[in-house]
Amino acid sequence: MTATQENPDTQLDVQTSERVGRVIGIGHTTSQEFRVVLDERAYLAVDDLVVVFTEVPGVGTLSTYGVVIESEATYEGASYESDVHRIAGDYVEGGVMAGGLQPAAKVRSARIAVTRVDPEMWVAPDPGAEVFRARGIERDRALYADEMRRPLAVGRGRDGEPVYVDLDFFDGTKGGHMSIAGVSGVATKTTFAFFFVRLLTGHPELMGPSAANTRVLVFNVKGEDLLWLDRPGTEFTDVDAASWRRLGVEPTPFALATPGTRAPRPTAPGQPTVAYWAPPRAHAGDVLMPDVSGRSDGIAAFHWTPREFIDEDLLQFVFTDATDNRNQLPFVEERVRSQLKRLAVDVLGAPGAVVLRDTNDREGGQRAVHSRAQERVIRTLRDLADEIGEHLEPEDGAEPDYAWTGRVQGGTVSAFMRRLHAASMDTRLGHLVRDGDSHRIDRRAATVSVVAIQNLHELAQRFVVGALLRETFREKEETGQRWPLSIVVLDELNKYAPREGQSPLKEMLIDIAQRGRSLGVLMIGAQQSASRVAPDVLENASIRVTGRLDAAESDRAEYGWMLPSTKARARLLKPGTMVLGQPAVPVPIVLNFPRVPWATRADEVRRDADLDPFRGLV
Amino acid sequence: MARLYVEDWSPEYGAPFESDPDTLPSEVVVDTAVEMRGAWEPLPGRDDGVRRVAFVDGVQRLEARLTLDDPDAGPLPGICAVYAVGATVWDRTVGASTFAEIGVSRLAIFGDGASPDFPVVPGLEYTVEACQARDLASFQALLGGRRARTETALVERIATADCFVVKDGRIDDTGPLHAVGYIKSHNRTYLEPPQSRVIAALRAGERTPLFGTTEKFERYSWYVRLADIPHGHSWSGIARLEVSAAIGVERARVIADRTAALLPLAAMPLHLDARAPQNLVPIAALEKELRRWLGDEGLVRRALRTAIHGAPAGVTA
Repeated sequence: MTATQENPDTQLDVQTSERVGRVIGIGHTTSQEFRVVLDERAYLAVDDLVVVFTEVPGVGTLSTYGVVIESEATYEGASYESDVHRIAGDYVEGGVMAGGLQPAAKVRSARIAVTRVDPEMWVAPDPGAEVFRARGIERDRALYADEMRRPLAVGRGRDGEPVYVDLDFFDGTKGGHMSIAGVSGVATKTTFAFFFVRLLTGHPELMGPSAANTRVLVFNVKGEDLLWLDRPGTEFTDVDAASWRRLGVEPTPFALATPGTRAPRPTAPGQPTVAYWAPPRAHAGDVLMPDVSGRSDGIAAFHWTPREFIDEDLLQFVFTDATDNRNQLPFVEERVRSQLKRLAVDVLGAPGAVVLRDTNDREGGQRAVHSRAQERVIRTLRDLADEIGEHLEPEDGAEPDYAWTGRVQGGTVSAFMRRLHAASMDTRLGHLVRDGDSHRIDRRAATVSVVAIQNLHELAQRFVVGALLRETFREKEETGQRWPLSIVVLDELNKYAPREGQSPLKEMLIDIAQRGRSLGVLMIGAQQSASRVAPDVLENASIRVTGRLDAAESDRAEYGWMLPSTKARARLLKPGTMVLGQPAVPVPIVLNFPRVPWATRADEVRRDADLDPFRGLV
Repeated sequence: MARLYVEDWSPEYGAPFESDPDTLPSEVVVDTAVEMRGAWEPLPGRDDGVRRVAFVDGVQRLEARLTLDDPDAGPLPGICAVYAVGATVWDRTVGASTFAEIGVSRLAIFGDGASPDFPVVPGLEYTVEACQARDLASFQALLGGRRARTETALVERIATADCFVVKDGRIDDTGPLHAVGYIKSHNRTYLEPPQSRVIAALRAGERTPLFGTTEKFERYSWYVRLADIPHGHSWSGIARLEVSAAIGVERARVIADRTAALLPLAAMPLHLDARAPQNLVPIAALEKELRRWLGDEGLVRRALRTAIHGAPAGVTA
């Protein structure tokens, strides 16, 4: 009396499944691993899925599912390596063909790692038991797809059939976040991240009613590779398109929706949108020009006003160097931040600018005041730094104002001011804070907001990332709503959440990793080497993906979820092939994903006739 | 009522060492003028492109010693033995060898001409044979005779103009078969000076001229050097071959040329086998395969004990 014996479809697919061989009985089979000797006309390649049915006395039929982790072949009967010459057919001795003189049997076999036993009873398969290629329902069982509540096809296995991710483990229901690792250039980390985002937005039936409002924030940190998500790419082929459709999504690029630019074409229903944002070019005077070189249209410039800088507590993200935390800088920064918040008041006629004035010194408690002569109107970060300097390091040599500094040592105050002044230069953060109308990044404008920070100084990059992550996180904290999801794609995660040291940015990322799941803030982190990223961030990623790995990297403990054979192969993966690990499936699955329909580099942009060549010139 | 017992002794204990099939012929007439009259010289081998070459051999093993305990007649010795015979067929057109025609036979041999009932051993089929003597050597001779008979039957079955047979050991068939006997060890030379000197002059791939011998029936024989062995004596690397004279001198010459050309190819490299180069690669592989077919000795013995004595403790039938 067993569940499976009564379950008619366990044996059902055997009829349609192809027999590939038998379980090898030399040496022991185990519940974890066994080997298969192949039939003459069958083959098994690495990553193929198999199923074996074993009669367990008193229990019934057990289905053992497995994935091929190694393929092997040998001459049975050869004792010496040189025997192979005498066995194989092209051996010439003294001018006479002497090949094939020694009889031997070519034996091909495969090593299988067990992925699942159904019912869950870990009994080794019988030696000599027939092994079938897992197809149809058996294949889904081997990959646990039958148990996934919300399977999202994210690529195709070696057999061309879809490979699924259980969305419950990405969107925070049971787990959250995704971590992508791999060598730069060939691992296609970012491409996979966007491929995944595009699939997410293409399946409203999985994502629920708020799917259309999913928001993705991504930082372009290298080149200008992410500035072409709305442009068809030249690399995309019909084969790729068919592959996309097989995964259930019509392949279209993202539709341009940057505020202030006109959309080139009406967007298809359900097509996700993209908006590009770039910091203003430094030294461009009053004109706001986005600081990118590759494209001039469809990009909006962003900056913060001093008012926003103070209200949003952005000062902390000026001090994101991991070494800043060793001294007492954060202590001073906190003091200064709260003083600014208390004292800053808007200036009439100067939008975004502030003056610092005591609360009892404001005419009738007005929200905005007229600036007085001798009073510094804070229009830029430099103004702010100068103003802070007057309180921290008075020019007359007087004692600093303890309300601003607390009782820290003079050296700490000097260090704080030195860094603040340095940061407020135009080559660093200076041009990101200026008065005028608000030019904040509007993440509601499009599904994907690409923030182009590749031309910024590293300090400024961390500042922007920190400011936007905080904004995203805080927004979700305030609404308390998990839906719609807010996804953050962060390349070079090791830069923002390094393994060593402390910084407000790293703390926030750890916070997102730990609490974001329940708030609907999900991170897709990418890095060359997972070993250089803070473990707290990595460990919280339920879904792990790797492209080609450096040999030394793949040996590290961070890749313990991969099988030894997968690790060995990870060094050889081609672009477009990834290894997927997820909690719902206890073994890593290798998948291929098609090329994406948008350009991933400037030189891949398709110059089609249907695109107006003069757009951007008028 | 006589009862049968399996002795605890190792079955090979006290057995004579391998009886050499190339025993000394007592009265042999050697005719050295079959192919070449006058002074002999080495002849080069020639490959006539025969399509298939089959190497035939057999192996045998004692599996248990038996005692039939008869209350009246006293103890009667016997043995259980097994032999396997088969062929390695080298198909030169595809350059591959396969095992063929492998057969396994099991014998229960009893002395004093007795042939008592033998119990059924599951999976092992024993034929009872009566031997007139009661010593182990005679039992083994009987076993060897049965095996040789099976080998000869196999040779007769597969030897054709298209499939040339090399049988390990002497040939027993008098007919005009395309089959040669291949003899590795030499207890004496068939040749006298001056012809015997040509053996030392042979190089690998060369043969002596044919000579006729008469042992039971007329044969043609010749020597072939399989390999030039550094520091070897004049007989090292030499094999003797023989064919039934019924085949005629002309065809015997073609066959002799063929063996001189092909057998050196099949010679085992010196470092791989103590019996190299005479132990030919296809025959060595065949022997290994045949021993595999004999089955696991321990398992066979256990099955015998179970069948004869009843199930051992802990084993349920």
